[in-house]
Amino acid sequence: MKFLYSASPNLRGKLSTRRIMLELMIGLLVVYGFSLFYYFTEHGMAVALHSLILMATSLIVMAITEVGFAYFTKQDIIPFLSNSFGWITAIILTLMCPITITPFALGVATFCAILFGKLLFGGFGQNIFNPAALGRAIVLASFTGVVANVTEDVITGATITTKMANDFNWLVVDPNMIEKLMKAAGGLQNLFVGFYPGGIGETSALLLCCVGIFFIWRKVIDWRLPIIYLSTIFVLGSVIAWYSGMSDWLWYPLFHLFSGGVMFAAVFMLTDPVTSPTSAAGKCIFALGAAIITVLIRIKANLPEGVLYSILIMNMLTPMIERAFDGKQYQILKKAYIVFAVISALGIGSVVLAASQVEPAKEKVKEVIKITPQDEYVNSLEATIESEVDNGDGTKTFTVSAQGFAAKEGPNLPDYNHGFEPNVFEIKVDTATNKVVYLKATKIGDTEYLGDKLLNAKYTVQFEGLDLQSEFEVSVNDAITGATYSAKSSVRALLEVRKALGF
Amino acid sequence: MSLFKGRMRQYIPGHKELTAHKDVLEVLPGKKVFIPLYTAYSTTFELLVKEGEQVFVGTKLAVSKGKVVVPIYSSVSGTFVGEQKMMHHTLKPQTHLVIENDEKYEAIQVFQPLDYQNASREELLAFMMNAGIVGYGGAGFPTYIKYQNADKVEKLIINAVECEPYITSDFTLLPEKMDLFVTGILAMKKMAQALEVVIAVKNTYPKLIQLLETNVANIADVRVVGVPNVYPMGWERTLVYQITKKRYDRLPLEVGAIVNNVTTVIAFAHALVHGKPMVERVVTVSGDGIQNPSNVRVRIGTPVREVVEACGGYTSDEVKLIAGGPMMGKTIVKDEVVIDCVSNAITVLKPVVERPVACFRCGQCSDHCPAGLQPVRIVQASKAKDKKMMERLHALDCVECGLCTYVCPSRLDVTENVRIARRQLQIGKK
Repeated sequence: MKFLYSASPNLRGKLSTRRIMLELMIGLLVVYGFSLFYYFTEHGMAVALHSLILMATSLIVMAITEVGFAYFTKQDIIPFLSNSFGWITAIILTLMCPITITPFALGVATFCAILFGKLLFGGFGQNIFNPAALGRAIVLASFTGVVANVTEDVITGATITTKMANDFNWLVVDPNMIEKLMKAAGGLQNLFVGFYPGGIGETSALLLCCVGIFFIWRKVIDWRLPIIYLSTIFVLGSVIAWYSGMSDWLWYPLFHLFSGGVMFAAVFMLTDPVTSPTSAAGKCIFALGAAIITVLIRIKANLPEGVLYSILIMNMLTPMIERAFDGKQYQILKKAYIVFAVISALGIGSVVLAASQVEPAKEKVKEVIKITPQDEYVNSLEATIESEVDNGDGTKTFTVSAQGFAAKEGPNLPDYNHGFEPNVFEIKVDTATNKVVYLKATKIGDTEYLGDKLLNAKYTVQFEGLDLQSEFEVSVNDAITGATYSAKSSVRALLEVRKALGF
Repeated sequence: MSLFKGRMRQYIPGHKELTAHKDVLEVLPGKKVFIPLYTAYSTTFELLVKEGEQVFVGTKLAVSKGKVVVPIYSSVSGTFVGEQKMMHHTLKPQTHLVIENDEKYEAIQVFQPLDYQNASREELLAFMMNAGIVGYGGAGFPTYIKYQNADKVEKLIINAVECEPYITSDFTLLPEKMDLFVTGILAMKKMAQALEVVIAVKNTYPKLIQLLETNVANIADVRVVGVPNVYPMGWERTLVYQITKKRYDRLPLEVGAIVNNVTTVIAFAHALVHGKPMVERVVTVSGDGIQNPSNVRVRIGTPVREVVEACGGYTSDEVKLIAGGPMMGKTIVKDEVVIDCVSNAITVLKPVVERPVACFRCGQCSDHCPAGLQPVRIVQASKAKDKKMMERLHALDCVECGLCTYVCPSRLDVTENVRIARRQLQIGKK
């Protein structure tokens, strides 16, 4: 008979770190599966393949780094690998990166994340910064603008957060601009569902929400972090919306929640237990701070996104937050309430202050130029009727050539080799009512891309039904000078027809 | 669930069905019993018998010297043959009084019964002290001390929670000794001059709650309260908070509460009614390492081996033998250890091999610690030998309930590491 000794207690719960990590990986793979589906259906096989190559690169680089480290530090490789959980970092890092990244960039980022982000600090459980966030920061710092060839043709233009940052200043009040933004994003529903290019795993708020709820239920993550983080961003978004006087405000906080890496961070990044405080109160403060910094960076900093740096900054503050809540939980409760309230107030204050310094996105006002028959420049142009055809149904078709900018000013222009041709117009007039049936340009002598505007139906439509007996006015919706001159040429052609009809 | 603080408790599967509805097994000791000279808060005893002297069931063998007075009574009749240093279930060698059992169990009336209704509070206090009533739930704190300073007691809380897994000794004893129990709470209520008596039972025992309610239905100011089936609901602080929603610094009296265990109440009533000290108790012998898990009634001083044999022996060649429940009970490596008056259980478990991984600071331990401590940070401070930090983190307030180890997903021995931290601090203080 043998009696074994072990220190009490002699009973264990069911929860295990291995199970947590396994379920975390399953959650990550579900998110990755969604993105593969999206890239395959929307952008084709090549892009989906590229996404697979990225994931494989990251995992392989991770494995090589970890094995190499274990080898050089003389540790048993298999137990070292299985207790290091490096694949979680590799998958999270891949999912944070945009699809346009090159495998090389991702490989470098993975290497740095694993080695400098984790192993050098002492391995799993010892690191200060979230290794995946560190890797992502390296990509952002060193590989922005490097675009993989495969993805070049398919994904044009910036991601929605970059658009929001560059074109809309993260602050949109004008309803027309909101409409424009929503058009670019494909609507709030699309942002929520996630069928748009962005970080590989960051787009689907809906899916991330489901995974997050599953994780909370399975105790894979602490519920406080995502809930405080998301609700703080919602509140701060609402405060900005209210402060800047948005009439229909709800879309704005929701846009903050659904776009960029907020949802992904709430489920996978902030909840990394290694780099967040251990106490309940500490976790709340951590998530609150991250949310405030996220919103501040978004609306005021020269960065498209605030999520990444907010996490890294809060990682750095984690030991301080831990220290602040030393002692017994129920004794520091009051302190926790006060600190939380003060930081919330500071957060709202600073966000409002930042918002007050941001110019809300405005529609670029286009100059509308009106051209009348009395226009001096119009009358300085030469025009001749080339032909006049009676159609026999009460209409006449004139072919008129009129000088445009090129024909009139051409000889003075340096390096101009277009040919100084006048523009030729076909103008059909109803002789009974003296109204224009249509005006169209048959030959453009003016500068390419500028004079071409004469062919634009949006421009020529205003001539239809024009009464030649009375005064008229033509407007050009573009401030570009050359086009205006071309338009003047068309007016000059019409004046010639008017003269021919005896008005 | 609070935002800024953890749950401070946890549901643990109780496995109570192994023993809860079985008849109590009577186990008589063999040739020798070993009565430990041990009581909480006192280590020196004055011996009242001489070697070779004839003793009876109830003979006062010794009495503790010092701050607290706790008499030790013989549990069998026979001959006192001497003292012996033996391993005690506290894992420290203690002096045991060896008595050769004549198996006649002749009893003597060592003190007179007392009618609590006619006795004064002082008489009751003296009686309680003389009867050697201590906290039979496990702590062994002399009960009379609690009542000495009883003043403005609002609630006398009777702890019938039994939150440790496997243990059903109170659950079995209570229906059997219901009359004594009622007498006991009324006597204690009188001693404490308490406004009301609250009997705390787990919600998962509706039949027991019903039985208690019918028995106290006609008594004013006594009520039965169902408490959640979580660990450590039976810990004094957790229970007092559950019932009063107040936290105290050192003693429950600060918030007007006195807490007593069911077995203590019954033992006190038994002494009052029959004039006999506690010489035997119900012990739960359970776990997956024992052939026939059951509740046994056993004389104090009986070696664990005899009790285990009465329950069919072990199921495996390698077992963990635990004096108490699996959470707080200490693992004993010899089954010569004897049943003490505070032994409520013997748990025998088959060993389980754990594969620990590194701590990843998930904070489950801090979330669940019923004392509100942060075990993960205490352990970190202990590894860094940072005594100031350990003090800031109140490492000494750990009660070793074991919940941090239970919930730790990395399968680390958190409680043991906190114990090491406490030792570091205690050594520094000496």
